[in-house]
Amino acid sequence: MAGEVWIGGGGVICGIGDNLSACIDAFRNMATGAATMEYLSSAHKGTYPVVEVRADNATLAVRAGMPAHISRTALLSKIAAREAWDSTGLGELRNYRVGFVSANTVGGMDKTEDFFADYLKDPQSGQLNQVVNHECGSITELVADSLGIRHHVTTISTACSSGANALMYGARLIRNNMVDVVIAGGTDALTRFTLNGFNTLMILDQESSRPFDDTRKGLNLGEGAGYVVLVKDELKELIRTPWCKLSGFANANDAYHQTASSPEGVGNYLAMKGALEMSGLKPEEIDYINLHGTGTQNNDSSEGLAIERLFAPHYPPVSSTKSFTGHTLGASGGIEAVFSALAVREGYLYPNANFGTRMKEIPFTPVTAFSEGNKVHHVMSNSFGFGGNCSSLIFSIG
Amino acid sequence: MGEVSITASCVIRQHRIYRNGELLWEASQDLNLQDFLRAAYDRFSGQYPKFHKMDHLCKLGWLAAEVLLKEPLDYPPAEVGLILANKSASLDTDLRYYDTVKEFPSPALFVYTLPNIVMGEISIRHGFKGENAFFTSDHFDTELVMSYVQQLFDENAVGAALCGWVEVMNEQYEVILHLVEKEKQGLPMNAENLQINKL
Repeated sequence: MAGEVWIGGGGVICGIGDNLSACIDAFRNMATGAATMEYLSSAHKGTYPVVEVRADNATLAVRAGMPAHISRTALLSKIAAREAWDSTGLGELRNYRVGFVSANTVGGMDKTEDFFADYLKDPQSGQLNQVVNHECGSITELVADSLGIRHHVTTISTACSSGANALMYGARLIRNNMVDVVIAGGTDALTRFTLNGFNTLMILDQESSRPFDDTRKGLNLGEGAGYVVLVKDELKELIRTPWCKLSGFANANDAYHQTASSPEGVGNYLAMKGALEMSGLKPEEIDYINLHGTGTQNNDSSEGLAIERLFAPHYPPVSSTKSFTGHTLGASGGIEAVFSALAVREGYLYPNANFGTRMKEIPFTPVTAFSEGNKVHHVMSNSFGFGGNCSSLIFSIG
Repeated sequence: MGEVSITASCVIRQHRIYRNGELLWEASQDLNLQDFLRAAYDRFSGQYPKFHKMDHLCKLGWLAAEVLLKEPLDYPPAEVGLILANKSASLDTDLRYYDTVKEFPSPALFVYTLPNIVMGEISIRHGFKGENAFFTSDHFDTELVMSYVQQLFDENAVGAALCGWVEVMNEQYEVILHLVEKEKQGLPMNAENLQINKL
């Protein structure tokens, strides 16, 4: 496994901002995103706040340069992937062997739901072209075609760790010299399917979520997309401003339950430990952890205990940016990778909103204010998914 | 490249449980599926309370693996693969779950509304961490399963694999589960031996 993998840039669209700098402004101003749903149509509209991208599909389609009738998941993906690429200064995509590794969990479900509204009333009605991009991989293909990426295009769908796993896979493509650069991350649009599923699991909060707070009641669903551009060492000089390196990553599984983490966070611990081992860092060298921090009882407790086991007594600053963006599922690992990599470049520490009371079972509390110019050399980003699929990434100063 | 062969099989059909072609146990045909599964659990296990939370698909697959793997396998966890197929995916549970949605959506049923959960339950019970895949097709596509399993062995991705058919829809069910290994005494892996129509 030869060569460093550089983060050459990144792009984000989510409920707190249409682009990365708008998101950073939201952190700076403590402007969280949870609100009454406006674009998603659901029976739970008045019950559960969500964190929506504040634009209808027609508006997003213009920005994406794609047709307005395709899935919102693809529109969000294209906008963030384009921002990520443009931020690198690498010029034309066609000059490189480019990979696109894009995660998502809902695919074109938003359009499928529209189809079924008509179809269930009358099996002879319903626009079949609304279901042709139902499958997760189809979204990636649409965006890859639109961007003109052909060398390596693939989709990862491992629930909430999908986006982080896309970075791991992309880094391995580069280390094995299969491509020169990879746009890696994830995308997900809000759908009734996901909202109803999380509602069934009884892990949605009716108020703004409170990750790592003792009074937390659940998560807020969000939507968006986030991508970094991974660049091989030989092209480093061409990047406008290399952000940092992807110095370590690991994936592990709890093998415990379909949706819950093991109480002691076995998979979480193994993922963080594995990422540290690959990076050659000691726990006390980590300057900030971007938590998975969904705000559910189960996740925050498991993640907190796993951090205690690995880091005690040297707890780095930690926070969950999901307290701003909501849980964007397949996109979250990508969005948080962008925030984490930028934190290394800029010395940012992101705030954990809505924090009031320390969790009884762990001895540390999250950062609650935005700050910049900090010494942030190594950042860990956690993403833990259903099925026990646990991933951890480490970004390090170059 | 060593020969791949079927070293053990379990069939559960019509309230009868077979191992390697031999009838091990038979329950009254009067039992409904739920009671049959409970009786089979008492007969072959009795030490795994989580069984009672499972849906019928998981119970069937889990029981077959229990019967098949009387002695624990001697392979590293990551070297045991799991390739299963059926016709109805998790529809049996999907419909039960959907029935609850009108009143109060059941989290207990919801977490079984995917067919591959049965592979998770088997993996958790036996500690398997190898490659797995679940296919749905109208009939047991032995060609597909056979070639997939062969590929895993050819690529040295596995040292052993469990493969077969785990189907349930309402009261209709059928399980055919095989242990496949390399360079061991057993039956050749072919369509006839995978299908086991004779029992």
